[in-house]
Amino acid sequence: MRILLGAQVKVLVRDRQSLFWALIFPLMLLGIFRLFSFDSFAEEDLVVSDRSGVAAGARLEAAVAALDFLEVEARSGLDDGAAHELLDDGDADAVLLIGPPAAGGGPLPAELLHAIDDPGRLAALRAALGSVVDDVNIGLTGAPRAVELTTRASGASETTYFDFLAPGIVGLALLTFSTIGLASSLARYREEGVLRRVRATPLPPWRFFSSLVGSYVLLAVVQIALLLLAATALGAEVLEGVLALALFALVGNLVFLNLGVVVAGLVHGRYAVEGAANAITFPMMFLSGSFFPTSALPELVQRLVELLPLTHMLRAMRAVSLDGASVWSQAPELAVLLAWVALSALLARAVFRLQDA
Amino acid sequence: MSAPQSPHEEPPTDPSGPAASAAADPSAVAEGGAAPLAIEVRGLTRRYGELVALDGVSFEVRRGEIFGVLGPNGAGKTTLLDTLEGLAPPQAGSAHVLGLDVARAPQRVKQRIGVQLQASSYPAYLTLTEILELFGSFYERRADPAALLARVGLEGRARSRVGQLSGGLAQRFSIVAALVNEPELVFLDEPTAGLDPDARRALWELVREVRAAGTTVVLTTHYMEEAELLCDRVAILEGGRVVAMDTPLALVRRLDAPYRVRLLTREPLPRARLEGLPGVVGVEQERTEEGALARLHAASAEAAAAASALAAEAGAGLLDLLVEPATLEELFLALTGRHLGADRHEAGAPSASAPPAGAGDADGPPGGGGG
Repeated sequence: MRILLGAQVKVLVRDRQSLFWALIFPLMLLGIFRLFSFDSFAEEDLVVSDRSGVAAGARLEAAVAALDFLEVEARSGLDDGAAHELLDDGDADAVLLIGPPAAGGGPLPAELLHAIDDPGRLAALRAALGSVVDDVNIGLTGAPRAVELTTRASGASETTYFDFLAPGIVGLALLTFSTIGLASSLARYREEGVLRRVRATPLPPWRFFSSLVGSYVLLAVVQIALLLLAATALGAEVLEGVLALALFALVGNLVFLNLGVVVAGLVHGRYAVEGAANAITFPMMFLSGSFFPTSALPELVQRLVELLPLTHMLRAMRAVSLDGASVWSQAPELAVLLAWVALSALLARAVFRLQDA
Repeated sequence: MSAPQSPHEEPPTDPSGPAASAAADPSAVAEGGAAPLAIEVRGLTRRYGELVALDGVSFEVRRGEIFGVLGPNGAGKTTLLDTLEGLAPPQAGSAHVLGLDVARAPQRVKQRIGVQLQASSYPAYLTLTEILELFGSFYERRADPAALLARVGLEGRARSRVGQLSGGLAQRFSIVAALVNEPELVFLDEPTAGLDPDARRALWELVREVRAAGTTVVLTTHYMEEAELLCDRVAILEGGRVVAMDTPLALVRRLDAPYRVRLLTREPLPRARLEGLPGVVGVEQERTEEGALARLHAASAEAAAAASALAAEAGAGLLDLLVEPATLEELFLALTGRHLGADRHEAGAPSASAPPAGAGDADGPPGGGGG
């Protein structure tokens, strides 16, 4: 059995294409996504200019300049033409022009000129500036505050997009390598006559089969370890609860391996098998939230996505790595995964016959 | 003579199925020991839906033989081998291999036989040594990979992969890979298919060496040439039935004119005189650079002596006289009305070197044993 497993591992490791999908491709994704800084999306470049010559204007300018989630620059005495020029040249995303005071009295006008297409970002900016304006208004009246809102992060540390992404990359690497890889290994062994040749020896076919699956499990452990190390090296914080994360990854991986066997059983011909395996894994990879949270999907799609194994595997992995959740708190996700393992194993057994090889 | 019959091809008379025939089978008693027969098949039948792949096949293979199973594609050769190798259980009839009932003890049969399949059948990413170690690990008895490779002259390619070998070397490897468990019986499925004549001859030599080392060989082929030169006995399969089985020479003798006499003289001989010679059934004549060539189809070897006497009597100047058996190709044509394959000449026809006396040697394969 040691020789058999060793041979299977050698075959896997020497197949450059499978190694590419197992390790190089996910490492590339990690590196590329590291370059994007999604967390700075909210940082608008805002120029604020007080042209009012009254205390309220100066006070508003100072309060806006103090907003720490915006890049704010105060430039006194900007005229409308200069403001438009700033926006046209891309030097600013928005300009807040304060004053001059209206000729007939009344409130001091403050106009937000902007070049922001995204309505969400615009709304966020409006809300932020609106609350500053409210604060200034209240401060000027000297009335006491009735309600005060404060914000506090629940975890010890704030999570970044890259922390969120790293378990997703591990999940997609396992999915593509195990499902596509095992399906095409089986198809190749069938096509090359290796399965038939093995059946002509006294080795029970299930032992050949389980050694093949075993080699994939071994490589999955290596995949998980290397990808988490690489993610950590690139700055992700994923090592908290890493053993629990690996546990969920390996249980989910059993589903992916079974799916590979199902594909090899249903489809014949090596290239058709690879195509079918791609057709299953790629939509699942995106829909189950490898890159983006599933909560961003339409509700109907979200409900469908709840049926996919990768969704539950990633949710459990992120819960233990991002939120420091315990393994037991993820029992519902684990239950769904185990149900998937059982179901996919039964299906694999029903559609793939070593005897037909 | 034109309707060859063999006692082997009679359908089985035992209608009671494999279990009953196994009990009555003397070789089953010697199970696991040194059975006198390598293979004993009785009334083997296999259907795939409507298609009858094997239809009451019966035959025996003795230990130490090179036994050929001959037939066109679709004749049932591979199905027969699958059954004997324990890959497909018989549906009716019985098959004993090395004294073991294949239906009951396929694993024990597999321990003691070697199998070479038509496809390359080995993982592309392993070296030759690794493949031999891997497949050896499946058996209780295993040969040393280095010794196996040396046996077929592949010791220098131990770290190569199968895909890096030429067709001939890959076939040599697939044969030696069938010997990893030092089997008593080895099955070779079309071992020379697609090889050039040199590689094919080299492979024949390898098969003879395997037999000389004590291993019984069963091979399938659709090359008549190969069966004639290599096999001690052949079974001709057609439509799932054994239509004839014997030594190649005895099979050929069943033809109306089993001998070919090739007579080369300085001057041509009169056709009527040739046709009148005892045992001569047909005559072809042509003029060649060397002289006048006459090809006689003869019912007996006496025709050669008579032809020689005629040449002397007519003063035609005898240059060369060659007697050789007719080919299995002609037999196959006579038996089935079909040609077996169009490519027998690819195999390198040895007729020019066949000794005239070979035709009279009842026990040896035609063309002599050296070929």
